[in-house]
Amino acid sequence: MTELEFTMPDVGEGLHEAEIVEWLVGVGDTVREDQPVVVVQTDKAVVDIPAPADGVVLGHGGAVGDTVLVGSLLFRLGLADASSPTPTVGAAPAPAVAAVAAPVVSQRVPLPRPKASPATRRRALDLGVLLAGVTGTGPGGRITTADVEAAASVPLAAARPVAGTPIAPRPQPVTSDRADTVEPLRGTRRQIARTMTESWTTIPHVTELREIDAVQLVRAQRALRAGAEPLGVRLTFLPLFVAAVVAALREHPNFNASLDMASEQIITRGRCNIGIAMSTDEGLVVPVIHDADQLSLVDIARRLDELTEAARARTLSVADSSHGTFTISNYGSYGTWMGTPIIRPPEAGVAGFGRIRDAVVAVDGQAVVRSMLPIAVSADHRLNDGHHLGAFVSTLAALLADPVLLFAGGQRWS
Amino acid sequence: MVVGEIPVSADLIVVGGGPGGYTAALRAAELGRDVVLVDRDGTDGVGGVCLHVGCIPSKALIEVAQHMHLSTALSAAGVPAGAERLDMRRWQQWKGDVVDGLTNGVRQLLRHAGVSVISGQARLSRPDQLVVHDPLRPLAPAQYFQFTDLVVATGSRPAALACLPFDGVRILDSTGVLALDHVPASIAVVGAGYIGLELGTALAKLGAQVVIIEQAARVLPGMDEAFARPVQRRLAELGVEVLLGATVLGDDGAAVRVATGSGERVLTVDLVLVAAGRTPNTDDLGLEMAGIALDARGLVPVAADRRASAHIAAIGDIVAGPALAHKASAEAVVAVEALCGRPAAFTPTAIPLVVFSDPEIASAGWSLADARSVGIDAARASVPLAASGRAATMGQRVGTVEIVWDRDGETVIGLHIVGPHASELIAEGVLAIEMAATLDDLADTIHAHPTLAELLGDAARRARSAR
Repeated sequence: MTELEFTMPDVGEGLHEAEIVEWLVGVGDTVREDQPVVVVQTDKAVVDIPAPADGVVLGHGGAVGDTVLVGSLLFRLGLADASSPTPTVGAAPAPAVAAVAAPVVSQRVPLPRPKASPATRRRALDLGVLLAGVTGTGPGGRITTADVEAAASVPLAAARPVAGTPIAPRPQPVTSDRADTVEPLRGTRRQIARTMTESWTTIPHVTELREIDAVQLVRAQRALRAGAEPLGVRLTFLPLFVAAVVAALREHPNFNASLDMASEQIITRGRCNIGIAMSTDEGLVVPVIHDADQLSLVDIARRLDELTEAARARTLSVADSSHGTFTISNYGSYGTWMGTPIIRPPEAGVAGFGRIRDAVVAVDGQAVVRSMLPIAVSADHRLNDGHHLGAFVSTLAALLADPVLLFAGGQRWS
Repeated sequence: MVVGEIPVSADLIVVGGGPGGYTAALRAAELGRDVVLVDRDGTDGVGGVCLHVGCIPSKALIEVAQHMHLSTALSAAGVPAGAERLDMRRWQQWKGDVVDGLTNGVRQLLRHAGVSVISGQARLSRPDQLVVHDPLRPLAPAQYFQFTDLVVATGSRPAALACLPFDGVRILDSTGVLALDHVPASIAVVGAGYIGLELGTALAKLGAQVVIIEQAARVLPGMDEAFARPVQRRLAELGVEVLLGATVLGDDGAAVRVATGSGERVLTVDLVLVAAGRTPNTDDLGLEMAGIALDARGLVPVAADRRASAHIAAIGDIVAGPALAHKASAEAVVAVEALCGRPAAFTPTAIPLVVFSDPEIASAGWSLADARSVGIDAARASVPLAASGRAATMGQRVGTVEIVWDRDGETVIGLHIVGPHASELIAEGVLAIEMAATLDDLADTIHAHPTLAELLGDAARRARSAR
């Protein structure tokens, strides 16, 4: 039997590790080619990893909850292969116990590993730096100890996605006769923790809050919803929010942008890919409506439905959650009035939409009851100043207050 | 658990006193742990199979055989022919002194480190308890230990063949052959892996009529074919008959029956050595008590830090990878550090493999074919042993040094040596691979003249000129 060491494949751009969620095939069990062996979770999606060939799974490279680096051992597969060398000689094979494979069969290491000396690798382990992401400055691209130390000291945002995660200071247990419950930080929660830490520690947020008279928006949504029903589409407020954000981004491309401090460059995005923050049982996920500026309102609603369903079923792909350029959080859907949304790095802004409610407001000197939509937009203050943010929010507010402007601006219906 | 069994509390227990186990015990003691080492043979067993009946005794035999043989081979240089027969009794005494000396060394290291060594066989009685009973003292009560951490390093044993069960008299394993007090007139060696070849070659040089039986189509199956050719040629020169594609049918106490491609052969031999792989000693460890399931080959599945569970690590021949002493001792350090809460992972770039055949073989890192099969843009260059002045003065002609490198960065990723002292020469290659050395690093390092090691620099220069 030839042994194949199957290493963690690169399941998506820029991802260098994944967490083992579930083993679908036990050690000693046979698999067919392309049969899923293990479920892993990256910071973008849950992915099934299939067997590369027919065979027997000889060993797992980690337990559920373990993090596996791209390129490191994921599982070992025994291939039934007539030409494979056998250390056993004789008419009948040794009973019951299998002989250890001849040393030579598995003595080579399974992957092109980072070029780094043992001392440098040990330093990387100590500092919690992932070598796979470190660029070597030594001869032939060799990673030096200095490279590892530099990677460990670089702030997360600038290091992303190349450097590893330094180990953070640890909370001390609180002494009490009622013991703390300690559980490992895993899965989606770990990804959220990393992304939020990166955002909050590297992006100076500036947030503008505004309340918008939503009488026309509510009326428009009702009419449009009725129009969409025959098409089998559920048109909520969210597609209108997406369309309004897209239109505002078209007018203010400096919010559809990224800042790269490492190279000191401002990147203005050519595409307009709107991420939608969705809460699931596992935690927050942000699937993306790609090229939302090219879609009709009905198509946006359809895509939202598909992504919502995929998020609920945990079948979002890496692609579904990648390449967002701006994010919307519809926190009004769970009752929030107003919030201060946090930017998803490396994006430059995020818009939050609260719950529409009736409020007493002054109109022409009279106290009247109007439907009001609270919105909050956070921006990366390194990239945009308060007056840029004000201009963006004003455009967004005008579009939401009078949704006809959306269609006047070229938004297609279906 | 029977009422009345009171476990003794133990901080860190190591099961198995071989190169993996005693290294683990020493490292754990160094890190301030209270260590108990359990070995089947107690303090007599430290050093394990490797020291007592494996690597060390076999090299003692190979060394002697090589000297006796060389005195004949160098007759052209005027060296008088040597003694006709090795006095195996005296050799046994000498070997015993060598082994005893080394065992004493290990024992002293353990004593100075404060490791307590107890004898007996250990198995888990609970996820965190070990029961140890001594089969040599069946009436003594079993000892129970409550441990914090456990390192399992129980090693492996020769695999048996159903058609040739070991009897300790005629059908022997490698241990039995190394305990002989005479050179057999004739011996059949079943299996042309490295153990069969090493012992078969040594016995042939000592005057035994040797026939090697191998199921595969060549010797050293599983290794690069380039290694097999010079060894096969040399075996023929030594008068060793090699039956390839041959299957043993049985033994009647005087002759071994073998099915070959050209019909059945009956080999009348004094002894039979079965060297057909090794079996991990995991059958009776009770690992299932801790929720650890063995894989189909009887190996313990472990993570990169060699832990099979939070407090139990396994190392050496009972985990995946080559069954080699130096791999076990490297894993031992990783396992203990992981159990002590330090970041640790077993991630060697190369594990050297050495075969004390004639000529010797040593290999580390990628072969050209394997590297290319995983998408590395690899290339190779080799220099023949004949290019070495030093080899000529040794009367040696057969061999090569091959270097495999990654064109991306010109990093050395493999080194494969056939020739005298290949087992020593490989060390520089392993270091080069681990350090991600480039061809320039190796080519521009000054190698002493006249030495065999010069060939490494030559190979790197040849590679550099071929780029």
